[in-house]
Order: sequence, then C-alpha cells, then structure tokens
Amino acid sequence: MDELILELKEEIIRVLNLEDITPEDIDSTAPLFGAGGLGLDSIDALELIVLLEKRYGIRLASAAEGKTIFTSVENIAKYVSENRKR
Amino acid sequence: MKKKEWEGTTYGNAWMHKWLIRLLRFTDVRILYAFTSVFVIPVCLLINPSAGIIYRFFRERMGFGRLKSALKTYQNHCLFGQVVIDRFAMYAGKKFRIEIEGLEYYQKLTSGKESFIQLSSHMGNYEIAGYTLMHDKKALNALVFFGEKASVMSNRARLFSGTNIKMIPIRPDMGHLFEIDQALQRGEIVSMPADRIFGSQKKMQISFLGQVADFPYGPFSIATMRGLPVLAVHVMKLKCRTYKIYATPLPYDKEAPRQEQIKELAGKYVTELERMLSHYPTQWYNYFEFWGN
Repeated sequence: MDELILELKEEIIRVLNLEDITPEDIDSTAPLFGAGGLGLDSIDALELIVLLEKRYGIRLASAAEGKTIFTSVENIAKYVSENRKR
Repeated sequence: MKKKEWEGTTYGNAWMHKWLIRLLRFTDVRILYAFTSVFVIPVCLLINPSAGIIYRFFRERMGFGRLKSALKTYQNHCLFGQVVIDRFAMYAGKKFRIEIEGLEYYQKLTSGKESFIQLSSHMGNYEIAGYTLMHDKKALNALVFFGEKASVMSNRARLFSGTNIKMIPIRPDMGHLFEIDQALQRGEIVSMPADRIFGSQKKMQISFLGQVADFPYGPFSIATMRGLPVLAVHVMKLKCRTYKIYATPLPYDKEAPRQEQIKELAGKYVTELERMLSHYPTQWYNYFEFWGN
C-alpha cells in the first residue's frame, strides 16, 4: 500500500503541476480539497478522475462516489487497490 | 457602500419573461428594439455601472476617442437589449437567418467518433448557435450558469426537448464535472464559455487587447486532459434578423508538455476573441471589470 500511496502522490504532483511540492510534503491522511490540505478544487477533481481512468482503468460512476474517494491520498489508494483493472 | 455586483443572469422576473414571450408572438422585434433603445437603454446608462465599464473598454482597450466611445457604449447597450429580445423571440417561436463561416470544421468533427469541445464567450448571441449547429447523432452538452433564472432555464428546456441538446448547470459541488467527463467519454460535444471564471477559481493571466486579464483555467485544461479537438464558436449579430456563426478550429500541439498545451490553446482562444472584437467591437457583453480595476 505504501508503494501505491507514493505512486499516487507522484502522479497527483505531475498531473496537477504542483511544482513546489514533493511527495513527502503531502500528508496521506490530510484532506485533498479545501483548507487544511492541498487545497485542490473542482477542476483538479476532474484531473484525478481522468488519472484513475488512464492509469488504473477505473471509471467512477457518480459525483457522490468521487466525493467519498477523493478525501485523502490514503483513501484513493485504498479504492485503487480494490478496483484497479491494470 | 459596496457596489452591487453584476449577477450574470438574465434581467427580469418570471412574470416579465412570460409577458415578453407572449408579446413577441405577435409583435415585430424591431418595435421592441426601438422601444428599448429610446426608453430603456438611456435609463440603464444613467443608473447602471455597466455604462462606465463599457466606456472604459472602448477608450482604453479599443483605443476609441471620447465621443466615439460614448456612442459605441450606447450602441453596445442597445445591441445587448436586442440580443436579449432575440432570445425571447426564439422562445416565442421566431426564426432568424443564420450565416455560417467554418461549417466544414464543424461537420468534420461531428462526423467523427471523437468528442470535441466548443468554446464560447459572452459576445454576440451564443444561444442561437445551439439551435442551428445541432447534430442528429452527436449530442451537444452546454455548460450553463447554475444561478440563471428558472424561467429562462424552463424555456431553454422546452426548446431543447426532443433535440440533441442537453444543459449541464455549473454546480457548487463537482457534479457538473462528472457530467462533462461522462459526455466526453460518450463521444459527445461539450460547449462551455471560456471568458468567465466560475465553478473552479483556477485562472490564468493572458494579454488581451494590450493588457493582462484573467481567464479561466478549466475549459483549456478539460480540452487538453484528453487531447480533444477544440472549436471556438461565436455568434454575432449582423442585422435585425440575421446572425453569423464563426466556427474556428483552435489547434494545439498535443505532444507538448501539458501546461504548454493549455497555454497555447488559451492563447489561440484569446487571439480569436481579439479577431471577433476587431469586427464587432460593440458586441462585447462582459459587464464587469474584465481587466481588473
């Protein structure tokens, strides 16, 4: 799981172009959206949706599902490990 | 006292909209054009901050003299009144003559299986394009302002029923982004304005008419996320009942790093805005400080 978490952090930094952030700067359990975390917004959520689809073959069914998954890197990793197709 | 911010919705309440549609069923639009130009617009110019904003647009961005800017400010407001009347005339069943430039690009994209993005702006009367550029097989998903008046939304829904046009209201949550993504996965068209920052607050600064202005990051990011083709679509008013659609392809280097793709696409969109404004300077309807204060 730790390997997947690191991979996800690197992918998030790459697709969201977070130039000044390293994987070590991202707390795996911190919220990704809003204050107190990475401060991502809705357009970043779409980037994450496309990332899950392209990299892991996962298509999210609804906005509600996305809300529960994109709470933290740890949560995304858990979902990816259970649902990945590649 | 804090200045009242422009809401970005169609003026008037449901009763006024209903009354206007009824009136337009049996009244020539030119009568309403004349009425608004003589009785409504002068009052608007006196009480509404839009007059100063557009006057400065003509003076500082278009480089017009004082008298010409004042005249163009009046013309701009008259034309805006006319395009609003035209929208309600469409809801009332009136038809408009449409000329199209770049139809071949639109047809090429609609005949393929791939989805594509249409970028619009708050110039001319984009809503007319929805009724004209409609494809029987490829659905058009139009991103619309969530806070728009219920009466306008219901009239749009009525007009779009039985057509291939769907509306996606921009919501405070992520719901609209899922709808966009799903439409793109189905190989459909997604249409969105790219000259206003709403929904995501991410923005990019681009030189526009000689000064840096903020543009939304989202539309350009969404297009490049999947390397989709992009068309800029502008619908400009030529005469009373004639509009011209400009469908202009905005190619970008899909092999370049992602951020470069976004910058290139946004730059080409802004160049197209400048081209349109060089032909139709009075059809710019962003009534807020687009370039900041």
